[in-house]
Amino acid sequence: MTLVVDAGAALSPAAERVRERIGASPLAGRAEVADLDLPTIEIGPTDWPALARFLRDDPGCGYDLFLDLCGVDNLRRAGRKTRFEAVVHLHSLTRNEHVRVRVLLPDAEKLRLPTVCDVYPASNWFEREAYDLFGFDFPGHPNLHRLLCHDAFVGHPLRKDYAPGQRWFFAEEDLRMPEWSKDTDERAGHFETQTISIGPSHPATHGIIHLVARLDGEKIVRAETMIGYLHRCFEKMAEKHHWNQVIPYTDRLNYVSAMLNGVGYVRTVEAMLGVEVPERGRLARTILSEFTRIMDHCVCIGANLVDIGALTNFIYLYQNRENIYDLLEACCGARLTVSYVRVGGLAIDVPDDFVARCRALLDSIPGFLEDVEKLVTNNRIVRNRLSGTGIVTKEQAIAWGMTGPMLRASGVPYDVRRARPYDFYDRFDWDVPIAQDGDNFARYLVRLEEMRQSLKIIRQALDVFPASGPVNSDDWRVVLPPKDAVYHDMESLIYHFKLTMEGIRAPAGERYEWIEGGNGELGFYAVSDGRGGPYRLKVRPPCFPNMAAFEHIVVGGTVSDAIATLGTLNVIAGELDR
Amino acid sequence: MSGVIDVSRRVPDRLTFLQKLYLPEILRGMWVTLRHLARNLANMKGLPTILYPEARRNYSKRFRGKHILKAREDGMLKCVACYMCQQACPAECITIVAGEHPKIAYEKYPVVFDIDMMRCVFCGFCVDACPKDAIWMTRNYEMAFFSREDAVFSIDRLRETKAEVEKYGYGYRPYYPGDGTTPPSDASMLPVLAGGGERDRLRAGAIPLPDRDAGPGPLNAPSQARKAFSA
Repeated sequence: MTLVVDAGAALSPAAERVRERIGASPLAGRAEVADLDLPTIEIGPTDWPALARFLRDDPGCGYDLFLDLCGVDNLRRAGRKTRFEAVVHLHSLTRNEHVRVRVLLPDAEKLRLPTVCDVYPASNWFEREAYDLFGFDFPGHPNLHRLLCHDAFVGHPLRKDYAPGQRWFFAEEDLRMPEWSKDTDERAGHFETQTISIGPSHPATHGIIHLVARLDGEKIVRAETMIGYLHRCFEKMAEKHHWNQVIPYTDRLNYVSAMLNGVGYVRTVEAMLGVEVPERGRLARTILSEFTRIMDHCVCIGANLVDIGALTNFIYLYQNRENIYDLLEACCGARLTVSYVRVGGLAIDVPDDFVARCRALLDSIPGFLEDVEKLVTNNRIVRNRLSGTGIVTKEQAIAWGMTGPMLRASGVPYDVRRARPYDFYDRFDWDVPIAQDGDNFARYLVRLEEMRQSLKIIRQALDVFPASGPVNSDDWRVVLPPKDAVYHDMESLIYHFKLTMEGIRAPAGERYEWIEGGNGELGFYAVSDGRGGPYRLKVRPPCFPNMAAFEHIVVGGTVSDAIATLGTLNVIAGELDR
Repeated sequence: MSGVIDVSRRVPDRLTFLQKLYLPEILRGMWVTLRHLARNLANMKGLPTILYPEARRNYSKRFRGKHILKAREDGMLKCVACYMCQQACPAECITIVAGEHPKIAYEKYPVVFDIDMMRCVFCGFCVDACPKDAIWMTRNYEMAFFSREDAVFSIDRLRETKAEVEKYGYGYRPYYPGDGTTPPSDASMLPVLAGGGERDRLRAGAIPLPDRDAGPGPLNAPSQARKAFSA
């Protein structure tokens, strides 16, 4: 075990606090604390539920937000205690801290790890994912079935000894329907209930999502969501590519806000490498990220309003999106799948008229937002459809691991840009919009205000945007040297060759970096073994926990409420299924 | 940094009597949409929609469309079959087979250079990876095909043609100095090894250029030349 710091070594204050608390708990002696990029607790599987309960309930810990659970296969990684480990990331809203728990699974036939669904309801789908992709068994899990791979799939694809490229044929009869959906529920003196499928291919799902719902008349009494129809094995693919080559793949996660995914990903790699991006590059990223966030919210609100019958707003909001796409295309040459960021900076410098283009957008966007507000906010039909439907209380939102506009609409002001300011967010003057009701209308209001705040951030960023200067780091072990140098200078050519053929050499280790994506906390957990590409790369997709909660939120409402709620969850299938 | 704002306090919980009465609100909504209509009617040329294919969107000089293989002055491809773009491609859509050219000036050249346009994700990594300025992208986004075989573009469809560049224009490329068309220097335009006399004879057509279908040519020629050089 190389990564755990021995007892004598000095820990960071955060890790020291965690160690003190664990030392005072009944789990003392059974958990180790290591000081990596985050305080990391190592524990065996049997003690994991007790630790989870302690971390959530102990007032000194208060890790109430379950962020992520993923497996890691150490088969080709030297110096690890066990072959498999489950890595959990938690956040404390009260103390604004992340912590990592590494559950070491002893090598055995069955990799057992008790479920923590009762402590953190958010872990439900994350555990199913680990069951699916790694074959971890979670005794006590209420619904342990495959989630991302289909039901006729054999094997666990993210294990290192699973050969990629195998194909498993999926026929219609292989589709698993929930047990409860198979018979109708007939009670004496009561009408019969019906089970219907909404999706997989349904215009209101905006992607391929399958909702099985049991209806009592128009009311949903039970529901289950089935996803994975857009699973493209992003994480397995990432293991086969160099660090930079993963960037086009990240564009296809949340394809509505491609730029944000790229920024989140390269920030993780840059943190591993310790590369500093020049101010101009970081500001360009910030500006384009905020424009992308506006685009993301435009699509969410626009599509949501179309679902409830208001088409005009969609057109007005999409006009913003088109104009922002023009800006992105002028910067990088593509509208949707931008692939603009690179580890250490950007693919190329922004165009000469970048600031002028941005300012033109700043002038045009508010008009469209105003029009939408006029048409929608005090519209009686919209109010009737959105107010009081799809309610998520503050406690539920935290328990279900929600982040982003979902959590903020339920009254929790957690925004990564504020909680852990990266780039220059701490220098700008902007507000975190929250709402109290937690219903669909509150989420609409929060998103609308967030667009205005993004405009405010962009305006301030443009004021300090340097007129010239580098956008890329000049570390040629990370960034491709300028082309003129490559053509004429042997040393540059060698760097160019090494980078292209071997990739960036990130030091062995692991890193979790997170940013505020369009839907909430977008985290990338990267493990490097020192070669040119990721050993393991896990995305913490912000809409994954939102979608996991969907089957609980819709119960008690009508089918049409479910459609309106699906819209405000802003589920993007590319990010959900990866 | 600043604070937190509660947006639910901004809008009234209950609608006013007038707002509940559909009709005034409908008229207000119509006012918004009719204003857009009037503005658009007055400015038909500024409409955001484009009547494709009669009208085309004007893309930037960085647009990532169909690739082209740049040629030297004598028509020989600049590509030296170094496999860098094939290695850099995240979609693994480039296939190169290198051949040894009989003329020492060219040394290595691509016998096969295929791009599978169905796999390509148009990320531009091949352009970034090329050390010889040999692959650029154009603004050509019109690549419809009827079969998978048709989607694999070989050298004859990738080689830069005047017609294509005139119709669509250059897109993503490694450098943009000035007007974006002048390379930093002509270092990569001509083989460095070629002496003046040989260059002239090439231009005059005295040395026939290799035919792609004829294969790589006799393999011993360059090594013999090298032997002669070391002796």
